[in-house]
Amino acid sequence: MNMRRPNKTCPFCETRVRFVDYKDDRTLGRFITDHGKILPSRLSGVCSRHQRQLSTAIKRARYLALIPYIRGMQS
Amino acid sequence: MTRQYEAVYVFDSTLEDAAITDKLGRFHGLLGNPADLKLDHWGRRQLAYPIGRRESGYYVVARFDADAAALPEYERAIKLDDGIVRHLITVFEHEVGAPPMTEEELAAAARRREEEDEDEE
Repeated sequence: MNMRRPNKTCPFCETRVRFVDYKDDRTLGRFITDHGKILPSRLSGVCSRHQRQLSTAIKRARYLALIPYIRGMQS
Repeated sequence: MTRQYEAVYVFDSTLEDAAITDKLGRFHGLLGNPADLKLDHWGRRQLAYPIGRRESGYYVVARFDADAAALPEYERAIKLDDGIVRHLITVFEHEVGAPPMTEEELAAAARRREEEDEDEE
């Protein structure tokens, strides 16, 4: 049985991004789930270096109300 | 030691534009009016979630060189200001025009990935 994950390339490395920008809410929006959680890198294929930057960036963007903390939940 | 900082201010969207410029001038005066100050007014935009009763905010991004010793006074003034809903001051690490990753770096990253995959098997 083939347990290997398919090789995904990191979308940030592909576009040669050095630093993930916390102000770019449209890009960050691609890496959060429908509920607003941070998407795990095993699903998005982001490399570990960029995933670390991404997680900080998402947390900063949430604080500045650029992206929501939670979304699509019944209150 | 001076460092490059980036500050994002979220002002109350009910403030007049003149009042916002006035406040920005006051804050940056506390830093000794940095010569290389770059201001980017995003203007009014919808907040991703309501903060108090506010649904929208006026976003301004500022980038400047400042001495670390001048920052506490500056941040204190921001915190005390009622017109500011949120603010974030970060060390600017994005060096504008930083060279994109070179071919070697990309190749090295690809090699590392392959090695990791081999380890998994």
